[in-house]
Order: sequence, then C-alpha cells, then structure tokens
Amino acid sequence: MIAAARTRAAHTLIGWSSQAGLWIAMLVMAVLAASTPAHGAATPGEPSGSSLGMQVIDQTGTLTAGQTQALETRLQALEQEKGAQIAVLMVKSTDGESIEQYAVKVFERWRLGRKDIDDGLLLVIAKEDRTLRIEVGYGLEGAVTDAQANRIIEEQIVPRFAQGDFAGGVQAGVDSLINLVRGEALPPPVIKPADTGQSGAGMSGRMYEVLFGMSIILLSAPVWMATIVGAVLGFMFFNGLSFVILGAVAGTVISLIGRLFMRGKRSSSVSASRRGRSRGAFGAGLGTGGFAGGGRSSSSSSHRSGGFSGGGGRSGGGGASGRW
Amino acid sequence: MKRLFSLVFLSFVAATLSGCGYNAMQASDEQVKAAWAEVLNQYQRRADLIPNLVNTVKGYASHESQVLTQVTEARSRVGSVNISADQLDDPQQMQRFQQAQGELSSAIARLLVVTENYPQLKADGLFRDLQAQLEGTENRISVARNRYVESVRDYNTMIRQFPGVITAKIFGYSPKAGFTVENEAAIARPPSVEFGATPAPAPAR
Repeated sequence: MIAAARTRAAHTLIGWSSQAGLWIAMLVMAVLAASTPAHGAATPGEPSGSSLGMQVIDQTGTLTAGQTQALETRLQALEQEKGAQIAVLMVKSTDGESIEQYAVKVFERWRLGRKDIDDGLLLVIAKEDRTLRIEVGYGLEGAVTDAQANRIIEEQIVPRFAQGDFAGGVQAGVDSLINLVRGEALPPPVIKPADTGQSGAGMSGRMYEVLFGMSIILLSAPVWMATIVGAVLGFMFFNGLSFVILGAVAGTVISLIGRLFMRGKRSSSVSASRRGRSRGAFGAGLGTGGFAGGGRSSSSSSHRSGGFSGGGGRSGGGGASGRW
Repeated sequence: MKRLFSLVFLSFVAATLSGCGYNAMQASDEQVKAAWAEVLNQYQRRADLIPNLVNTVKGYASHESQVLTQVTEARSRVGSVNISADQLDDPQQMQRFQQAQGELSSAIARLLVVTENYPQLKADGLFRDLQAQLEGTENRISVARNRYVESVRDYNTMIRQFPGVITAKIFGYSPKAGFTVENEAAIARPPSVEFGATPAPAPAR
C-alpha cells in the first residue's frame, strides 16, 4: 500500500521532473539558439575591429606596412577622441564603375560612422584609373563640405599623386580630413565607441526577437516555470530588480493566457511546446539574420578583406572626386 | 475538439496578421515617401545653388547671356513643377517633373561647357567651390534617385505579389512610378566625334 503510493509518488515525481527537465532543456536551447550565432558573428569582428584595425586597406601594395600602421594609429586616435570613423581604401581599379558609384557602394557595405550620427568618411583611391574620391557621411557634410573635400583633393592629394608620392598624398589628405572633423562638434564617443554603438543597436533588435520567441514558448509552459523564466529574462535583458518582478509578472500572465487556450492535457501542451520551440528557434534565426544584414557582420560578407567595419553610418553621395 | 479549434484559430490569426503584409506595406510606403523626400531635397539643393553660379559666371562672362538666361529660365520652370509624396502614383506628373529637371541639367551642362573658355573664371576660387558643390549635389541626386528607385521596386513588388495584392486592392494601394531614362533615343545613338568643331554642345533635349 505504502509501497504502491511511494511508487506512484516516485512516478509522478519522475514524470514531473522529466517534464521540468524537458522544459528547462528546451528553454536553454532556445536561449542558446538565440544568443550563440549572434555571439559567433560578433567575436570574429571584435578584435580586428577595435584593436587590430583595418581602417586603411591597400590592395595595390603602394603603402609600406609602417605607413599603413601610422595612418591607422591616427585614425583610431580620432575615433577614440571624436567617435568619427575614417577609412582609406586603395584599389587597382573600380572595374568600369564610376568612382562615385564605387565609393557609395563601399560606404554602404562598410557602414562607416556611428549609427544615426553618420559620422563616417571614406577616401577611395583607384590607382590605375587615376581617380579618387572623398565620400562624406551625412553627419559630416557640415564639417567636410563638398568644396572643402574638393580643395583637399586638388591642393593636398592630387599634386603629390601626380609626382608619384602616394603615401605623402594620402597622409596629407587624411591629416586635413582629421583636422576638419576635429573642428566639428560631434556627440562624444561612448567608452568604446565602435563596439557599444554596434552591439547596442544589434542587441535591441535581437532582444525583441528573443523575447517574442520566448513569450510564444511560455504560452504553453507551466505557470511557475513561466514566472521564473520571465524573471530571469527580465534580469538578463534589462539588468534591474524592478524588471525581474515585471518579467515574472509578464511570464505568469503569458502562461495563464496560454492556459486559457489549451486547458489541461499534457500531450497537447507538449506538442504545442514543440511548436513553440521551433517557432522560437525560427524567430531567433530571423533575429540573427536581420542582425547580420544590419550590423557589423557586413564585414564578413565584404570580399574586400574587411576586419574593420563601421558602426552603421550612412552617406548620400556627398563629397568630391578628383583625378590626377 | 474545442481545444484543437482554438489552436487552429490562434495560428490562423497569427498567420494572417503577419501574412497579409499590411504592416510591411505601410513601412514600404513610408520608405518610398522618405526616399522621394530625399530626391526632392537634393533637387532643391541644386536649384538653390544656381543663382550663385549664374552670378559668378556673369562676373567673368557677361556676354554669354543666352546660356545664362536659359539656365535661369530652366530653374524657374523647375520650381513650378513639384510632386508631393502623395502624387507618386501618377506617371504623367512624374514625367513632367523629370522633364523639367532634365532641362535644368542640360542647361547647367551647357553653362559649364561655356565656362571652359574662360581660364580666369576657372581659376576663381569661388567658382571652383561652386562647381564642386554642384558636382557633389548632382552626385547626391543620383544616389537619392537610385535609392528611390530601389524603394519603389520593393514597394511595387510587394503590392503585386500574391498575399499583398489582395491587401493592396482592399486598401487602395497602387504602384508608384520610378525614374526612367530621360533621353533614351539620345543614349541609344552612338556619340559622334568631331574634330575642329566649335565646343558648343548639341542641344540635348
């Protein structure tokens, strides 16, 4: 009698714990699915973006390593100081495209400058076409006007290029650009300007995807589980005690709503949870996909060996072009 | 049974809410309007540069009055043809707008060719700055046009594809007009190279 009761209790305990185990495993998987690819996308860009740096890319082998390094140091110092991103790209040829179109495309791919401040600047030089362009992000169009960009090209860069002094031309041009940008009142950089700007921008989008997927899963989760998960999520994403309580309440409510629609039966709840999980994973996948298109991993899709990538700035064709 | 029904109903609601494309259509519509506003903005910027340009050229080349008045007239015509973002689905209006802007473009081009004959003007710092600004603005226009065309393509595709086409019909969304090439015939004709002729350009119309 007692033994039977005990075995039944053990059974229910096992059933209950396996149920809970299933849930926990599922949630862990969903969280992992939501966060791993994003982290995976972030890590390769991170060290090269901030410390190694590829802000000066020379595909023609014109600049020596020391000259490239000197330029990078100066450009990184500017980014630390003002937050603005300047990049230099030297290619052999634009392959029939006009230098203007080419510059806009590169700018769109690299997303130079901080998001919504658009303080990026690109100096493109097509050595064999003998053309060059300064492409100015929206946020710097006041600091580096078309006329000023034109003067830098015609007075600083082109005379030196015409004499074959490419390193000197690029250095002089970059120095002038840095001086112009220094004079502009830009929003101060956050502690690590490139990183926080990007991850913050990417995070909020991904966060909502995760929260959405989670809330679908929680629809069919037991109430206590939903409460705990809500609290944990509230802590993870918003980092505050009040959000823990808020998350717990939200989790409870979501779970109760789910309960309203599918009362009782285990099997249906489990199958619904399976659906929920696939939906959640799908949502997370979508999130990372969107992130890949929107942020720093654009550098991985760039065939121009970009380790450095911009913070989400845009340009609209401002600047000047020249030839020598 | 009831549970199954409610489950099916739930998934149906979820699917139709995101599937009919109404929200996406709204977003795309706004995108097109924003892109168009940028096009207008850049055309306006060009129009604002013209008086300065004309005055500067006048200082060195006052007897080129014909070219100068052409530019001024074209500029005033441009001011009278405007399309608000709500008229974008009218191809004829778009055609007129493009024609007016195209005339201004060719008038400016003629003016710049004429200035080639005045070395002093070309050496003037103010003129060079203006020319750089004009080039920059022309480039901004082409970038803005390009982005507008892309957003229109997205929008038109959306309201012509299957689930969207129904929503578009219900809510009365019609395809928007993109940019077309202004002078197709002139582009299709191979350029003729003449030596020793006067540098006056052919009337590109």
